[in-house]
Amino acid sequence: MGGSLLKPAILIGIVYVILKFVVPNIPGSAPLPSSLIFLYLMLTTTGIVIFATLSSASKDAFWNPIQRFMTGENIGGLQAVRYAVLIVFPLFIGYQAYGSTATSDAPPAENRTIHPAPPGEYTGLSNPVSKTPENIMQGKGFYAAFCSPCHGGKFDGKGPAARGFNPPPANFSDPTTIAMLQESYLFWRIKKGGVGLPIEGMPWKSAMPRWELELPDEWIWKIILGEYDGAHQSPRTWE
Amino acid sequence: MRGGVAVTAALLLGGATLSMAQEGVSVSAPMVKGALPVDDPNAAVWSSAKPATFPMSPQVHWPNRIQEVTVKDLSVRALHDGTQVAILLEYADPSQDPDDAAALQFMVGDKKAHFAHGQPMAQVEGGPVNIWYWKNKDDKGVDMNAQGFGTLKIQSHQDVKAKAAYANGTWKVVFSRPLSTEHAAEDTQIVPGGFINISFAVWDGRKDGAGDIVEKGSQKAVSSWWYFRAEAPPDYSAYYYAAFAAALALGFQFVLIRKLKKGQTA
Repeated sequence: MGGSLLKPAILIGIVYVILKFVVPNIPGSAPLPSSLIFLYLMLTTTGIVIFATLSSASKDAFWNPIQRFMTGENIGGLQAVRYAVLIVFPLFIGYQAYGSTATSDAPPAENRTIHPAPPGEYTGLSNPVSKTPENIMQGKGFYAAFCSPCHGGKFDGKGPAARGFNPPPANFSDPTTIAMLQESYLFWRIKKGGVGLPIEGMPWKSAMPRWELELPDEWIWKIILGEYDGAHQSPRTWE
Repeated sequence: MRGGVAVTAALLLGGATLSMAQEGVSVSAPMVKGALPVDDPNAAVWSSAKPATFPMSPQVHWPNRIQEVTVKDLSVRALHDGTQVAILLEYADPSQDPDDAAALQFMVGDKKAHFAHGQPMAQVEGGPVNIWYWKNKDDKGVDMNAQGFGTLKIQSHQDVKAKAAYANGTWKVVFSRPLSTEHAAEDTQIVPGGFINISFAVWDGRKDGAGDIVEKGSQKAVSSWWYFRAEAPPDYSAYYYAAFAAALALGFQFVLIRKLKKGQTA
């Protein structure tokens, strides 16, 4: 018995394995949310049920084993499994109900945008300081004095003052930080600091100083040169 | 067997949330019966609160900065009794000095406040912060407000108490206050069950060779914003819903099987 149910079960298993383990490994893809996987499995199951019930012969072949299993008639050794299913199913429903009604101990989720859009006047500015070895060296000197306590002597965001801050200071050697940004963007972030962020950047949490109050623009542009050079990254360009 | 899998999964999930709480994202104050240990940092009842540990940084956000601070981590416990809240800070400090100090900071009202004393933000309208301050030589709580640099002000109505004890290189400082006050525009209001933001500051009041206090004013150890919650009285309704849902499912099975059996014999 059960042969007509084996194929659908295997099919659902294969679909699950593909969605869970194969799709995320396709280049350019990402792991699917479990709710989406659940939806696809429901669609697969619905398809199987429709297919299996197309003719009355296939319908009987599909439903009879299920009916026999549910009623427990002539299923021999499967009786124990039947009892297990009959006990686990209500428990599972109860567990789901608990999960959706229990008050959470987790603090509110935070959706912080790490690189929010800059104000218009800070888009497309080009670095007025030329990229000479002297300027880069001077920039690195300013970086060591003003930035490295948090962003680190190795440009990795692990300076001695970094540990208490949440969000952590940016790691410039990570290809998803300054390598994704233009010099103009860095100029805005250094000049206006954490308090200059828009609401989606959660400005109330950032420890980044508003350096416009302390450093001339020219120093900031030199720091930008020093940061890219020290972190072995290049600014993003559009050409 | 499947039941075993479900139980294991439930245990794993439960374990995951437990370990998250210990990492120090939120301070949770359980509700206790009897008097709160507002004057006793060493009271046994503190052990009924789970400690949360928070990393501290030197204050580098605005001048005068400091590059290195004594206190690197802060352990925090809290309790409440339905009317009062008590918060215990514990941290290592090798020397006991008259100018040793510690503070808690909260947001006031609905507006977000920058963790550096509610400094104004360029694109977001911020609110004030409420600061509860303690200094060793006074050993009392000071209730203050700020909204931006240089605006720190002692309130005309003082609701905060503080009491500290120093032993074996460790400070224990208890702050306490009624959960709610009549001054909602200046004081943070704590509603059991709700999360609010909290941050911390510590000053090591030792003096350097020249006789100057090393950590003072803006030169201090600070933390980012984290969460605080006074726990609500236990709510068992989720268990009732779960039992009801399980009973419904059981009834559904019963009816279904009965119907199937009837269909077979008919």
